[in-house]
Amino acid sequence: MDKNWDVIIVGGGPAGLAAAIYCGRALRKTLVLEKKVFGGQIVFSDIIENYPGFSEPIVPADLMEQMAKQAERYGVVLENDEALGLKREGGAWHVDVYQNQYAAKAILYAAGSSHRHLGVPGESELMGRGVSVCATCDAPFFKGRKVAVLGGGDTALYEALHLSKFAAEVSLIHRRDQFRAERILQDRVFRNEKIKAVWDSEVLRFKGSQKLEALEVRNKKTGAVAEMAFDGAFLAIGTIPNTGMLRGLVKLDENGYVLTDISLRTEAPGLFVSGEVIGGNRRQVAISTGMGVQAALSCEEYLSSLE
Amino acid sequence: MSEIIAANDGDFESHIKDTPMVIVDFWAPTCMPCRLMEPGLERIAASHARQVKVLKVNVNENPKTSSRYFVRTLPTLLFIKNGQVKTQIVGAVNPVQIEKTLREVG
Repeated sequence: MDKNWDVIIVGGGPAGLAAAIYCGRALRKTLVLEKKVFGGQIVFSDIIENYPGFSEPIVPADLMEQMAKQAERYGVVLENDEALGLKREGGAWHVDVYQNQYAAKAILYAAGSSHRHLGVPGESELMGRGVSVCATCDAPFFKGRKVAVLGGGDTALYEALHLSKFAAEVSLIHRRDQFRAERILQDRVFRNEKIKAVWDSEVLRFKGSQKLEALEVRNKKTGAVAEMAFDGAFLAIGTIPNTGMLRGLVKLDENGYVLTDISLRTEAPGLFVSGEVIGGNRRQVAISTGMGVQAALSCEEYLSSLE
Repeated sequence: MSEIIAANDGDFESHIKDTPMVIVDFWAPTCMPCRLMEPGLERIAASHARQVKVLKVNVNENPKTSSRYFVRTLPTLLFIKNGQVKTQIVGAVNPVQIEKTLREVG
């Protein structure tokens, strides 16, 4: 494996892969590092209906496989390894992975975000034992059972709709009295007899010994605490940006998102960002791919200026 | 070159009995991260052919094995040494992390 690259893209989701296509076509020697699976978080969903250009719902994994192949077609190398450290030294960027170190003239940081956890008792102990972050993956375990989905955004409602095909009953536990999700999803949820909303409520504890048995839920308006029996609980309460590695290199806001200009440059020379590491991103594949393209074009402008 | 072996409720026990180190990949056709993780597992199966057996268990068709290990999330990887579960990884990971876990367990 080559050690020296023109561009290293950290993250192989929609933002990173879209950027890779443009870097490849600019004939830049480009490496993409992905720590989990190429395609990013969207592959945890069963369908995508709002990506422009497809009149029928598509499978996100298929879309992302095509995006990865498109990048490879232009000579981009995709490597399933994790960037562990990033520093600038001697006019170049250095990226540490598990058993190697790479150098690059420019970095395009598109490491995305991770599922937010509640951080309440029982959650981490029962993760994988009834507590899940992927309804598409785990719904078949809950055939005919009672499940809860925590959250009120697009992801939560999609998860609830998917689970309703398997589970006997789906409770959408949300801390407000209305959902943030797209109206079309809200309509589907309200018309679905298996799904009921539990408004103004927060989960205080996940209970169970070998597997999840119940949730301790508090009504935020009345203060009443109830124990509700569930076999499964799916977390869809948002995400946190994967920007720990950028601390000290670029400005981050109070939630850890990168502060950048519209060209997606940062104050660090040759460091560009795109996708969900930037605040205000509404977690749409189309936004992330668009950002990836913009960051790649800014990156190309920078690389040309070095020549 | 060794490949991933599809195990089922009937032959699972015999697979883990006769091998010192086994990785079990619990998956389902609907689990997209499972599908995207498979090339990495194939790589492990090929490069560690002599020391490690890689099994895959379709949870939809093999409920006995998945409930025996309390698998409720896909993908789940179990690391079984001499018949005993040493550790598990829940959720999609890259092959480098799988190798790291193998070294820790082995």
